[in-house]
Amino acid sequence: MSPAVQIDDLSFAHPGSDLPALERISLLVPTGESVALLGPSGAGKTTLLALLDGRLRGWQGRTSVLGASLDPDRPPLRARRPDTGFVFQEFALVERSTVLRNVLNGRLGRMSPLRALMGSSTSHDLETALAALADCGIADLAERRVDSLSGGQRQRVAIARCLAQEPRLILADEPVSSLDPARAAEILTLLTGAARARGATAMFSSHQPDLARRFAQRIVGISGGRVVFDVPTSDLSEEATANLYRDTERMPGVGLRAVS
Amino acid sequence: MRFRGFGGFAASTLVAGAILWSFMTTDVEFSRLLSAGPRIAEFLGRMFPPDPTVMREIMKGGAETLRIAILGSLGAVVLSAPLGILASETMVSPPLYRTVRTLLAFIRAIPLILVAMLMVGAVGLGPLPGIIAVAFHATGMLAKFYAEAIDGVSRAPIAALESAGAGPLARLRHAIWPQMAPVIARDTIFRFELNLRESLILGIVGAGGIGFYIQTYVRSFQYDKAASVTLAVIVMVVAIEAINVALRRRFA
Repeated sequence: MSPAVQIDDLSFAHPGSDLPALERISLLVPTGESVALLGPSGAGKTTLLALLDGRLRGWQGRTSVLGASLDPDRPPLRARRPDTGFVFQEFALVERSTVLRNVLNGRLGRMSPLRALMGSSTSHDLETALAALADCGIADLAERRVDSLSGGQRQRVAIARCLAQEPRLILADEPVSSLDPARAAEILTLLTGAARARGATAMFSSHQPDLARRFAQRIVGISGGRVVFDVPTSDLSEEATANLYRDTERMPGVGLRAVS
Repeated sequence: MRFRGFGGFAASTLVAGAILWSFMTTDVEFSRLLSAGPRIAEFLGRMFPPDPTVMREIMKGGAETLRIAILGSLGAVVLSAPLGILASETMVSPPLYRTVRTLLAFIRAIPLILVAMLMVGAVGLGPLPGIIAVAFHATGMLAKFYAEAIDGVSRAPIAALESAGAGPLARLRHAIWPQMAPVIARDTIFRFELNLRESLILGIVGAGGIGFYIQTYVRSFQYDKAASVTLAVIVMVVAIEAINVALRRRFA
C-alpha cells in the first residue's frame, strides 16, 4: 500500500520572496497515521499543508499524496481533490448560509457538475452530511446560520464539512489555535477519532507541544521551513521541543526565515 | 500646540468672514422678512381646505411616478451590473476600476433634476426623460454599491470549496452568491426608495409623474388643489419609508 504522503527534497518560496518558506523537506506518512506538525508561527506549517492540498504552484522536489504525484505547475485533477480534506484555520465557512448547507458544500466535489450547480443533493449526500454533523455533535445546529455560532461551534462545522467530503487524508491547519484548552482537547479528540474511525490519515499543525503529544502518533518539528526532527511521540524529548522554540524567543518578531 | 491654536484662529476667521461676505452680497432686508409672515399666512389660507376633487389626478400622477421609479431602477440595475464589475478592485486592474470609479463619482455629482431637464430637452416632455434621468443618476450610486458587494466577498470559503473539488460554477453558486445576494438586494431596495422619492418632483421640470400636478396647480394659483397633491406626496414618502424599514430588516 502506498504511503498517504511522500515528500522528497521539497523546497518552496512564496512568489516575490527570496527566502524559502520550505527548504529541502523530506517526509513519509504511512496510511492511517496521525501526525502533528509542531513549530512556532511562521515556521512553514501552513505552507506545507496548503501545498499537500494542491493549492501552491512553483515548488521544487517530488511530492505524492494518496499515491498520485502532485504537479508543481498545475492544480490536481478535480476528481482527486475530495480525497484530501482540509480544515482551515479561520474555518472558511459561508457565514450567511446554514450549517447544513455549509456541510453539504463538502459534498460538491463528489456530485455531478449539474447537481453541484443546482445544489440538489442526493439522499446519499444528505445522509453523509447529517452523519458528519452527528459525529461532530452539532446535529441540532443544522438549520442555524453560521454567523450565529460561537468559535467552537464553527470549528465543528468546518470539521463536519471536511468529513462530509469523505477524505482519505485529513489536513488541519491549527485547528485549535483559537480555542481554550478544554475545547481544544475536545476538538482534537473529535478530529483524530473521526480520522481513525474512517481509516483516514490525519495531519494537523499546532504550536502547542502538549496537544501534539496527546493526539499524534508521530511529531514532526518544523522550524525555519526545515524539518528539525521527525520522531514517534514516545521518543520526543523535552529538549527537542525547547530547541524548536528557542530560536523564536531569541529573535522576537523577526521570524525564523531570517535566521536560516 | 501653538500650531493648533493658530489653526483654530484661522478657521474661525474664515467662517466669520464667509458669513459676513454672504450677508453683504445678498439682498437680505428686514422689511421683506417682516412682511413675509402675513404673506405665508395668506398662502396657507388659500391652501385650506385642500381640494379633494383632484383624487383622480393624484392616482394618475402617483401611478406614473411609481412607473418611472420602477423602470428607472430597472435601467440602473442593468447598467450597474457590468459597471459594478468594472469598478471592483478584485475583478479588474487598478487603472480600469479607478477610471470607472471616477466616472461614477461624476455621475453622482450631477443632480437628478439637472439630468431630467437635459433629458426633457433631448427626448421631449413626459415620463420617458424621467425614466432615463433616474436610470442614469441612480447608476452612479448603485454601481459603486455593487462593486463594494463584490469586493466584500470573503475569499476563504471560495478556496475551501475549490479544495473540496467544487467547480467554478458550483463555487459561484454556493460560496460567492450567498455572500453577495443579500447585500445586492438590500442596496437595490435602498436605491429604489431614493428613486421613488426623487422622482416625485421630476414633473416640476416636465419629466413626468405627480410633480407635474404640483407645478401646474401652483402656476395657476389653485393652491387648494396643490395642497392635496402635496399631502399625497407626503403620505407616499412616509409609506415608502415604512415599507423599506420592514424590508431592510429582512436582509440584515
